[in-house]
Amino acid sequence: MPQGSPRFVHGKILHNAGSGIFYRMEVAIPDRIDFVPGQFAMVSGWPGNDPLLPRPLAIFRSGGTRGKGTVEFVYKVVGRGTALLSGLHAGDPLALTLPLGHGFEFPGEDRSWWLAGGGVGFSSVFPAAAALEGQRADFEIFLGARTRDQLPPGEWIPGGAVPGRVHLCTDDGTAGFFGTVAAALGERIDRRNSAGPNRVGILACGPREMLKAIAELALPLDIRVQVSLESSMACGFGVCWGCVTAIRDGEKSGYRRVCREGPVFDAREVVW
Amino acid sequence: MTQPVMPDLAARVGSVLLKNPVMSASGTFGYGLEFTPFYDISRLGAVIVKGLSLLPTPGNAPGRIVETPAGMLNAIGLQNIGVERFVNEVAPRLDDAGAVYVANIYGRTIEEYEAVARRLSEIPALAAIELNASCPNVKEGGIAFGSSPEGLSGLTRRVRDATGKPLWVKLSPNVSDIGAIARAAEEAGADAVTLINTIVGMAVDPRTRRPKLSNVTGGLSGPAVKPVALRMVWEACKAVKIPVVGIGGIQSASDALEFLLVGAAAVQVGTANFRNPNACVEIVDGIRDFFVREKIFRLDDYRGKLLLRG
Repeated sequence: MPQGSPRFVHGKILHNAGSGIFYRMEVAIPDRIDFVPGQFAMVSGWPGNDPLLPRPLAIFRSGGTRGKGTVEFVYKVVGRGTALLSGLHAGDPLALTLPLGHGFEFPGEDRSWWLAGGGVGFSSVFPAAAALEGQRADFEIFLGARTRDQLPPGEWIPGGAVPGRVHLCTDDGTAGFFGTVAAALGERIDRRNSAGPNRVGILACGPREMLKAIAELALPLDIRVQVSLESSMACGFGVCWGCVTAIRDGEKSGYRRVCREGPVFDAREVVW
Repeated sequence: MTQPVMPDLAARVGSVLLKNPVMSASGTFGYGLEFTPFYDISRLGAVIVKGLSLLPTPGNAPGRIVETPAGMLNAIGLQNIGVERFVNEVAPRLDDAGAVYVANIYGRTIEEYEAVARRLSEIPALAAIELNASCPNVKEGGIAFGSSPEGLSGLTRRVRDATGKPLWVKLSPNVSDIGAIARAAEEAGADAVTLINTIVGMAVDPRTRRPKLSNVTGGLSGPAVKPVALRMVWEACKAVKIPVVGIGGIQSASDALEFLLVGAAAVQVGTANFRNPNACVEIVDGIRDFFVREKIFRLDDYRGKLLLRG
């Protein structure tokens, strides 16, 4: 079931600025919203009917008080919708439906967490990092990009100042580990304390191939993996049935909505 | 200051009375309950639920939607929970919500259509059955029946005999003469026709050389189809005496008013719900505001009053 009831609200952009290839946008909304890391919003603001549909953006942060809230997003320009979004300014109106979907689950058990973000996928794992930091939980972050310039700014990483916590990975070796996030996680799995009980959980968001590679590495070792999937969606709240992905259901599988039963799924259930 | 007289928005689709002429279009509103976090769904003229089949249907493989200029293509493939779960789990909750609701149905065979209609007829509060004779995305989704007057007539007669509920027939725009199709439904016993369903379309990726939808073709909806829909609704209104419900690209009260003006008894709002979950109620409010401004007291004083030269 979705966590928390969604609302449709009109907001106003407070700021919307680029940092490298990413944009960070803060929006004033009528009320404070609570969200679970991994949940998202459907966002639109450009005038006219083209593009027609709002864009799904992971909720990066929320704040404010009753009667006066703020919500923050991080996004990358990938198409016309996000290009139009990047051209909006402080004061411009936005329409938002939020919070949506089923987010990451991290019960307060004694467990180490490895968070993996590929590309702009960090935007849904950073809120999880912020929550884990608040719980004083033990966690490490793996961030992957094609090249150095496509990594998020260091100051955005919750708890990123703790030595040894952040592992940068680049496909071209220009920063950190020379290789993919999945490969870096593979090495980290080899180095884990095999004497102790297996108490690691992985939370991952990024390209589907990355998520699949992580699932293939970790699941045979009984490491629990939660993945946040991406999909084209029209509504974001479960009525268009456009965003489905195949999910195992006992012996069979069926199509589940990424926007409602997801975007976070247990990696064991995903039909890759 | 005198208080403005609140206009009477009550609409009538045959024997079905609606508090206003705005309904949700099937396939864009889930089973209705998904909208209860946003507003009280009893405020709508009616809720038309997602197409129901005899058995649960898995739907098409992913790659189900693609955005197009001022519109979208979908090929969902009628994924649904099946009539039994609707009757047992959903209908009681729609009753609790105080909604007026209509079930959209489809079958792979005429016998399946009949069986679904019979089962739904057992729901006392169900206002009507909308026969989907026009889904373009499944081979047996009705378009085989809905694309010729003879096919539609045969299907409509059989379902007509299977249910005592008001029977609305949803028409495909993918035909050469919408008037002839509407007349076929009327002659076969339909209480109303609803149109248009989506227009068959296609999108391909020039780089990967692949269709963007797993089903290759899909149904076009959204503002892009509105002029086509309006023309077809106007033609259908001239062709039949039964009520015509207008559907196709309605995003605003102004769009809805255009359909009412050409003669629609009521309208259904579809794709707009995806962009704005409050679209339907905003359209109700917008029609009321327009009537207040224009000093129109009843829907019937406006409906069908298109002024033509001559």
